[in-house]
Amino acid sequence: MAVEISGADIVRAAAMLGAGIAMGIGAFGPGLGEGIVAGKACEAIGRNPREAGLLTRTMLVGQAVAESTGIYSLVVALLLIFVV
Amino acid sequence: MENIGKVSHWVFHLGDTRLVVNSTTLMMTWVVIGLVLAFALIATRGRAMVPGPWQQLAEFLVQWFRELVRDALGEAYEERYFTLICGMFIFLLLCNWVGVLPGLEEPTKDINTTLGLGIMGFIIAHGTAIKVKGLKQYLKEYFEPMFFLMPLNVVGEVAKVISISFRLFGNIIGGSIIIVVVTHLVYGLLLPPFLYGFFGLFVGTVQAFVFTMLTLVYISVQIR
Repeated sequence: MAVEISGADIVRAAAMLGAGIAMGIGAFGPGLGEGIVAGKACEAIGRNPREAGLLTRTMLVGQAVAESTGIYSLVVALLLIFVV
Repeated sequence: MENIGKVSHWVFHLGDTRLVVNSTTLMMTWVVIGLVLAFALIATRGRAMVPGPWQQLAEFLVQWFRELVRDALGEAYEERYFTLICGMFIFLLLCNWVGVLPGLEEPTKDINTTLGLGIMGFIIAHGTAIKVKGLKQYLKEYFEPMFFLMPLNVVGEVAKVISISFRLFGNIIGGSIIIVVVTHLVYGLLLPPFLYGFFGLFVGTVQAFVFTMLTLVYISVQIR
Protein backbone atom coordinates (compact mmCIF):
# COMPACT_ATOMS: atom_id res chain seq x y z
CA MET A 1 0.00 0.00 0.00
CA ALA A 2 1.94 2.98 -1.31
CA VAL A 3 1.83 5.94 1.04
CA GLU A 4 1.65 9.02 -1.19
CA ILE A 5 3.71 12.00 -0.04
CA SER A 6 1.65 15.20 0.03
CA GLY A 7 2.92 18.68 -0.82
CA ALA A 8 3.56 19.70 2.79
CA ASP A 9 5.96 16.80 3.36
CA ILE A 10 7.90 17.67 0.23
CA VAL A 11 8.25 21.27 1.41
CA ARG A 12 9.39 20.07 4.82
CA ALA A 13 11.89 17.65 3.31
CA ALA A 14 13.22 20.33 0.96
CA ALA A 15 13.60 22.75 3.88
CA MET A 16 15.61 20.22 5.85
CA LEU A 17 17.77 19.44 2.80
CA GLY A 18 18.29 23.15 2.24
CA ALA A 19 19.32 23.65 5.87
CA GLY A 20 21.88 20.86 5.54
CA ILE A 21 23.32 22.30 2.33
CA ALA A 22 23.36 25.83 3.78
CA MET A 23 25.32 24.70 6.82
CA GLY A 24 27.63 22.49 4.76
CA ILE A 25 28.68 25.12 2.26
CA GLY A 26 28.49 27.84 4.92
CA ALA A 27 31.17 26.08 6.95
CA PHE A 28 33.71 26.27 4.11
CA GLY A 29 34.35 30.01 4.14
CA PRO A 30 34.93 30.60 7.86
CA GLY A 31 37.14 27.50 8.08
CA LEU A 32 39.43 28.90 5.39
CA GLY A 33 39.29 32.46 6.72
CA GLU A 34 39.98 31.58 10.34
CA GLY A 35 42.80 29.28 9.29
CA ILE A 36 44.51 32.08 7.39
CA VAL A 37 44.00 34.49 10.31
CA ALA A 38 45.43 31.97 12.78
CA GLY A 39 48.37 31.19 10.49
CA LYS A 40 49.31 34.85 10.08
CA ALA A 41 48.94 35.38 13.82
CA CYS A 42 51.30 32.48 14.55
CA GLU A 43 53.86 33.96 12.15
CA ALA A 44 53.54 37.38 13.78
CA ILE A 45 53.93 35.92 17.27
CA GLY A 46 56.94 33.96 16.06
CA ARG A 47 58.48 37.17 14.77
CA ASN A 48 57.65 39.26 17.86
CA PRO A 49 56.87 37.08 20.91
CA ARG A 50 56.69 40.10 23.24
CA GLU A 51 53.45 41.21 21.57
CA ALA A 52 51.80 37.78 21.96
CA GLY A 53 48.93 39.15 24.12
CA LEU A 54 47.91 41.89 21.71
CA LEU A 55 48.31 39.58 18.70
CA THR A 56 46.17 36.87 20.27
CA ARG A 57 43.44 39.39 21.04
CA THR A 58 43.54 40.80 17.53
CA MET A 59 43.48 37.27 16.10
CA LEU A 60 40.36 36.42 18.12
CA VAL A 61 38.58 39.55 16.89
CA GLY A 62 39.64 38.79 13.31
CA GLN A 63 38.45 35.21 13.56
CA ALA A 64 35.11 36.29 15.03
CA VAL A 65 34.62 38.68 12.11
CA ALA A 66 35.65 36.02 9.59
CA GLU A 67 33.17 33.65 11.20
CA SER A 68 30.21 35.95 10.59
CA THR A 69 29.36 34.56 7.12
CA GLY A 70 29.20 31.08 8.61
CA ILE A 71 26.87 32.42 11.26
CA TYR A 72 24.60 33.95 8.61
CA SER A 73 24.28 30.52 6.96
CA LEU A 74 23.56 29.10 10.41
CA VAL A 75 20.73 31.63 10.85
CA VAL A 76 19.39 30.70 7.40
CA ALA A 77 19.57 26.99 8.31
CA LEU A 78 17.76 27.62 11.61
CA LEU A 79 15.06 29.57 9.80
CA LEU A 80 14.65 26.71 7.32
CA ILE A 81 14.35 24.16 10.11
CA PHE A 82 12.14 25.99 12.57
CA VAL A 83 10.12 28.37 10.43
CA VAL A 84 9.42 26.60 7.17
CA MET B 1 14.56 19.67 23.81
CA GLU B 2 11.05 20.09 22.48
CA ASN B 3 10.73 23.78 23.41
CA ILE B 4 13.57 25.01 21.20
CA GLY B 5 11.25 26.56 18.69
CA LYS B 6 8.72 27.80 21.26
CA VAL B 7 8.71 31.47 22.30
CA SER B 8 6.47 32.68 25.13
CA HIS B 9 4.60 35.91 24.43
CA TRP B 10 2.82 38.62 26.37
CA VAL B 11 0.03 40.23 24.36
CA PHE B 12 -1.11 43.75 25.21
CA HIS B 13 -4.26 45.19 23.66
CA LEU B 14 -3.88 48.95 23.19
CA GLY B 15 -7.27 49.87 21.78
CA ASP B 16 -7.51 47.87 18.57
CA THR B 17 -3.77 47.32 18.12
CA ARG B 18 -2.22 44.13 19.52
CA LEU B 19 1.23 44.56 21.08
CA VAL B 20 3.02 41.17 21.20
CA VAL B 21 6.12 41.09 23.43
CA ASN B 22 8.63 38.29 23.96
CA SER B 23 8.30 37.76 27.68
CA THR B 24 11.43 35.65 28.21
CA THR B 25 13.68 38.27 26.66
CA LEU B 26 12.12 41.09 28.67
CA MET B 27 12.45 39.29 31.99
CA MET B 28 16.01 38.17 31.25
CA THR B 29 16.98 41.70 30.21
CA TRP B 30 15.71 42.97 33.57
CA VAL B 31 17.73 40.24 35.30
CA VAL B 32 20.87 41.33 33.43
CA ILE B 33 20.22 45.00 34.22
CA GLY B 34 19.93 44.01 37.88
CA LEU B 35 23.24 42.11 37.66
CA VAL B 36 24.98 45.10 36.04
CA LEU B 37 23.68 47.43 38.75
CA ALA B 38 24.71 44.95 41.46
CA PHE B 39 28.21 44.76 39.94
CA ALA B 40 28.43 48.55 39.84
CA LEU B 41 27.29 48.92 43.45
CA ILE B 42 29.56 46.19 44.81
CA ALA B 43 32.56 47.55 42.88
CA THR B 44 32.13 51.13 44.02
CA ARG B 45 30.79 50.57 47.56
CA GLY B 46 34.00 50.08 49.53
CA ARG B 47 36.20 52.39 47.52
CA ALA B 48 39.71 52.40 48.99
CA MET B 49 43.24 53.12 47.83
CA VAL B 50 43.91 49.39 48.28
CA PRO B 51 41.21 48.08 45.95
CA GLY B 52 39.18 45.00 46.80
CA PRO B 53 38.67 42.30 44.12
CA TRP B 54 35.48 43.79 42.66
CA GLN B 55 36.97 47.27 42.57
CA GLN B 56 40.08 45.93 40.83
CA LEU B 57 37.93 44.24 38.19
CA ALA B 58 35.92 47.42 37.61
CA GLU B 59 39.06 49.56 37.44
CA PHE B 60 40.62 47.14 34.95
CA LEU B 61 37.57 47.31 32.67
CA VAL B 62 37.33 51.09 32.89
CA GLN B 63 41.03 51.66 32.22
CA TRP B 64 41.14 49.15 29.35
CA PHE B 65 38.16 50.63 27.54
CA ARG B 66 39.27 54.20 28.19
CA GLU B 67 42.54 53.25 26.47
CA LEU B 68 40.70 51.63 23.53
CA VAL B 69 38.33 54.59 23.07
CA ARG B 70 41.20 57.11 23.32
CA ASP B 71 43.11 55.21 20.60
CA ALA B 72 40.08 55.00 18.32
CA LEU B 73 38.41 58.40 18.76
CA GLY B 74 41.20 60.67 20.02
CA GLU B 75 41.17 62.90 23.09
CA ALA B 76 38.29 65.17 22.06
CA TYR B 77 35.54 62.55 21.82
CA GLU B 78 36.92 60.08 24.33
CA GLU B 79 34.92 61.42 27.27
CA ARG B 80 31.65 61.41 25.35
CA TYR B 81 31.74 57.84 23.99
CA PHE B 82 33.70 55.99 26.66
CA THR B 83 30.69 55.36 28.92
CA LEU B 84 28.64 54.07 25.97
CA ILE B 85 31.32 51.62 24.89
CA CYS B 86 32.21 50.39 28.41
CA GLY B 87 28.56 50.11 29.42
CA MET B 88 27.69 48.25 26.24
CA PHE B 89 30.51 45.77 26.80
CA ILE B 90 29.55 45.04 30.42
CA PHE B 91 25.86 44.69 29.47
CA LEU B 92 26.62 42.35 26.56
CA LEU B 93 29.11 40.35 28.61
CA LEU B 94 26.57 39.68 31.35
CA CYS B 95 23.86 39.10 28.71
CA ASN B 96 25.93 36.33 27.13
CA TRP B 97 27.05 34.87 30.47
CA VAL B 98 23.65 34.76 32.14
CA GLY B 99 22.68 31.66 30.09
CA VAL B 100 25.15 29.61 32.11
CA LEU B 101 23.07 30.02 35.28
CA PRO B 102 20.38 27.32 35.53
CA GLY B 103 16.91 28.48 34.54
CA LEU B 104 18.09 31.71 32.94
CA GLU B 105 18.39 32.44 29.21
CA GLU B 106 20.45 35.00 27.32
CA PRO B 107 18.48 38.08 26.19
CA THR B 108 20.80 38.27 23.16
CA LYS B 109 19.27 34.97 22.01
CA ASP B 110 16.47 37.13 20.62
CA ILE B 111 17.01 39.10 17.38
CA ASN B 112 15.15 42.07 18.84
CA THR B 113 17.89 42.69 21.42
CA THR B 114 20.81 42.52 19.02
CA LEU B 115 19.07 44.41 16.21
CA GLY B 116 18.03 47.06 18.71
CA LEU B 117 21.63 47.48 19.87
CA GLY B 118 22.84 47.49 16.26
CA ILE B 119 20.38 50.21 15.24
CA MET B 120 21.34 52.21 18.34
CA GLY B 121 25.01 52.03 17.31
CA PHE B 122 24.09 53.01 13.74
CA ILE B 123 22.12 56.08 14.86
CA ILE B 124 24.90 57.13 17.25
CA ALA B 125 27.59 56.77 14.57
CA HIS B 126 25.63 58.67 11.91
CA GLY B 127 24.33 61.26 14.34
CA THR B 128 27.91 62.04 15.30
CA ALA B 129 28.95 62.17 11.67
CA ILE B 130 26.25 64.71 10.86
CA LYS B 131 27.13 66.79 13.93
CA VAL B 132 30.88 66.69 13.27
CA LYS B 133 31.05 67.02 9.50
CA GLY B 134 27.80 68.89 8.86
CA LEU B 135 24.94 67.53 6.79
CA LYS B 136 26.28 68.69 3.42
CA GLN B 137 29.69 67.08 3.82
CA TYR B 138 28.11 63.96 5.32
CA LEU B 139 25.81 63.53 2.31
CA LYS B 140 28.59 64.41 -0.13
CA GLU B 141 30.64 61.51 1.21
CA TYR B 142 28.07 59.06 -0.11
CA PHE B 143 29.02 60.18 -3.62
CA GLU B 144 32.70 59.88 -2.75
CA PRO B 145 34.68 57.88 -5.29
CA MET B 146 32.23 58.12 -8.20
CA PHE B 147 28.75 59.67 -8.23
CA PHE B 148 27.04 56.46 -9.40
CA LEU B 149 28.41 54.56 -6.37
CA MET B 150 25.87 56.20 -4.05
CA PRO B 151 23.51 53.17 -3.78
CA LEU B 152 26.47 50.95 -3.02
CA ASN B 153 27.62 53.24 -0.20
CA VAL B 154 24.12 53.43 1.27
CA VAL B 155 23.69 49.66 1.16
CA GLY B 156 27.17 49.28 2.68
CA GLU B 157 26.15 51.37 5.68
CA VAL B 158 22.91 49.44 6.23
CA ALA B 159 24.74 46.13 5.75
CA LYS B 160 26.97 47.02 8.72
CA VAL B 161 23.96 47.10 11.03
CA ILE B 162 22.62 43.79 9.70
CA SER B 163 26.00 42.06 9.90
CA ILE B 164 26.84 43.20 13.42
CA SER B 165 23.38 42.28 14.77
CA PHE B 166 23.10 38.91 13.07
CA ARG B 167 26.66 37.97 14.06
CA LEU B 168 25.87 38.32 17.78
CA PHE B 169 22.38 36.83 17.41
CA GLY B 170 23.57 33.84 15.33
CA ASN B 171 26.48 33.02 17.62
CA ILE B 172 24.43 33.08 20.81
CA ILE B 173 21.34 31.27 19.53
CA GLY B 174 23.49 28.74 17.64
CA GLY B 175 25.52 28.07 20.79
CA SER B 176 22.45 27.65 22.97
CA ILE B 177 20.80 25.26 20.49
CA ILE B 178 23.98 23.18 20.24
CA ILE B 179 24.13 23.06 24.05
CA VAL B 180 20.49 21.87 24.29
CA VAL B 181 20.81 19.29 21.52
CA VAL B 182 24.13 17.80 22.62
CA THR B 183 23.05 17.72 26.27
CA HIS B 184 19.92 15.85 25.14
CA LEU B 185 22.02 13.39 23.13
CA VAL B 186 24.45 12.77 25.99
CA TYR B 187 21.61 12.56 28.58
CA GLY B 188 23.35 15.33 30.49
CA LEU B 189 26.49 13.38 31.28
CA LEU B 190 30.02 14.89 31.40
CA LEU B 191 29.73 17.26 28.42
CA PRO B 192 27.41 20.12 29.49
CA PRO B 193 29.93 22.01 31.69
CA PHE B 194 32.44 22.09 28.82
CA LEU B 195 29.70 23.13 26.37
CA TYR B 196 28.59 25.95 28.66
CA GLY B 197 32.23 26.86 29.20
CA PHE B 198 32.93 27.16 25.51
CA PHE B 199 29.66 28.46 24.03
CA GLY B 200 28.49 30.39 27.05
CA LEU B 201 31.63 31.94 28.49
CA PHE B 202 34.26 31.98 25.73
CA VAL B 203 32.11 32.65 22.67
CA GLY B 204 29.97 35.03 24.75
CA THR B 205 33.00 37.07 25.79
CA VAL B 206 34.50 37.15 22.29
CA GLN B 207 31.20 38.16 20.69
CA ALA B 208 30.55 40.88 23.30
CA PHE B 209 34.05 42.25 22.68
CA VAL B 210 33.66 42.06 18.88
CA PHE B 211 30.26 43.80 18.94
CA THR B 212 31.62 46.60 21.14
CA MET B 213 34.84 47.02 19.16
CA LEU B 214 32.98 47.16 15.83
CA THR B 215 30.55 49.75 17.18
CA LEU B 216 33.57 51.79 18.31
CA VAL B 217 35.23 51.37 14.90
CA TYR B 218 32.04 52.40 13.07
CA ILE B 219 31.89 55.58 15.18
CA SER B 220 35.57 56.35 14.63
CA VAL B 221 35.23 55.81 10.86
CA GLN B 222 32.40 58.34 10.80
CA ILE B 223 34.30 60.88 12.87
CA ARG B 224 37.53 60.88 10.88
